[in-house]
Amino acid sequence: MKKEIAITAYKCKKCGKIHYPYHDRCLACKNREFEPLKPEGDAKLLAYTAIFNLPWGFDQRYLILGIAEFENHIKAMGQIKADSVDQLKTGMLLRPSWEPIRVQYGEDVYGLKFEPVE
Amino acid sequence: MRDVAIIGAGMIPFGRRDEDTLMEMLAYASLKALDDCGLGDKTVDAVYVANMGGGMLQHQSAIASSLVDRLSLMPAAAETIENGPASGASAIKAGLLAVASGYYDYVLVVGGEKMREVTGWRATDVVATMTHPQAEYPYGITLPGMAGMFTRLYMEKYGVTREHLLAVSLKNQEMGTLNPYAHVEMALDREGIFDSPDAVVNNPVSADPLHLYDLCPVSDGAAAVVICPLEMTKAGKGGQKTPVLIAGFGQATDTQTLQERDDPTDLKAVTLAAQKAFEMAKLKPSDIDVAELHDAFTILEIAESEHVGFFKKGEGGKAAVAGKTRLGGQIPINLSGGLKARGHPVGATGVAQVVDIVWQLRHELPKTRQVQKARHGLTVNFGGFGNNVLAFVLKRVEV
Repeated sequence: MKKEIAITAYKCKKCGKIHYPYHDRCLACKNREFEPLKPEGDAKLLAYTAIFNLPWGFDQRYLILGIAEFENHIKAMGQIKADSVDQLKTGMLLRPSWEPIRVQYGEDVYGLKFEPVE
Repeated sequence: MRDVAIIGAGMIPFGRRDEDTLMEMLAYASLKALDDCGLGDKTVDAVYVANMGGGMLQHQSAIASSLVDRLSLMPAAAETIENGPASGASAIKAGLLAVASGYYDYVLVVGGEKMREVTGWRATDVVATMTHPQAEYPYGITLPGMAGMFTRLYMEKYGVTREHLLAVSLKNQEMGTLNPYAHVEMALDREGIFDSPDAVVNNPVSADPLHLYDLCPVSDGAAAVVICPLEMTKAGKGGQKTPVLIAGFGQATDTQTLQERDDPTDLKAVTLAAQKAFEMAKLKPSDIDVAELHDAFTILEIAESEHVGFFKKGEGGKAAVAGKTRLGGQIPINLSGGLKARGHPVGATGVAQVVDIVWQLRHELPKTRQVQKARHGLTVNFGGFGNNVLAFVLKRVEV
């Protein structure tokens, strides 16, 4: 079963700025009150890379990572499901999902994954 | 506030130092700086130790307390300063403020890191702990990965090319061959890493679009300075060599994640830190004779050379290709070899940059690396991915 994307962004109740991750004070107006916001729709690819020297905890040859912006303007990092960066282009549309992104202490850790929309 | 001068500087060769512990490296660099200023067996009032990873890499804490004991500097005050890869400059800042305020007279600042005793896999992870613990780190992002994303954006916005990055790489590794303290003393062959079909093997992609030779090495090393009030140097109590004034200092921070910056290609903290340092020194970028910029990745030397005001945005890469950042050029950058060749033991780097500029301003280096008649120098120490940056403007004091 497809899992719900379990990140929460925060919209400033005063100026409307959207934050992800959480901040105790708004980055724009310093206000301390926010309303939670869930990511909606597909996402636009803003930046990406493929890393071949992985940190401890990843037992694979390479990892493609990117930052994408959801339709409701939440920006977040995620792993990208592609064979090569040659399949990617800044501004392209990605479909988000919530899937295992690594294993820690024998347990799956879930996070954002993005897949290019055909 | 009192003017503060650097009266002693010392460094040990960077690289893989299997024979030394972290504490030994810190002690050797400290003794070199103390001997350099002629303090001899006298003590100092305080010791600031820059170290980022001792707790994780060596399972060691309270490093400064241990160092004063080893160096017999008791009862000097002692603190360890951890500010990621900007720890070195942060420790110098702590010493600067303490002396400027009048609280201490003689302060030893030493930065060191021992990173090669763990695997590259583990060292990469330790450095990645600087990233956001929920929004970035779990995904496997590394600092080279952040730099890869930044590079692509910079290429798209400003037309930076791999040729521009290569110019930085070739220059800094060439300078490394001339620096006995450098980790990498090997000149690069353009053909072998860029033009020939073998380049794919010799210089593979590390964090796309960055390749292996766009990245600094993981290093062991330590560097140290001794500072005191400028007035004491005039009274003959400030060492035996030409003093170097810390004429300007600036520090600024930015968001932890790249995604929350309005323009991720804008290194605001670099611009602000440099502006503050120039303002305090009453100097401008064109007054600087030599600079040590934080080239953990070749793109950063280019981007920082623009953000501190040496070149307009989009011109830094072309300037590197045109030789404007080489010895004899418009603004020589990283004549030490930079992080790219001298190496990047994270806690040591900010101090090492200052040591290299002190040597430049004292006119002590061999001709192949010395900027003739250098009077003013700039350092930029870049923490995280530009979310905590410190800059110093240093000035030769004519005696």
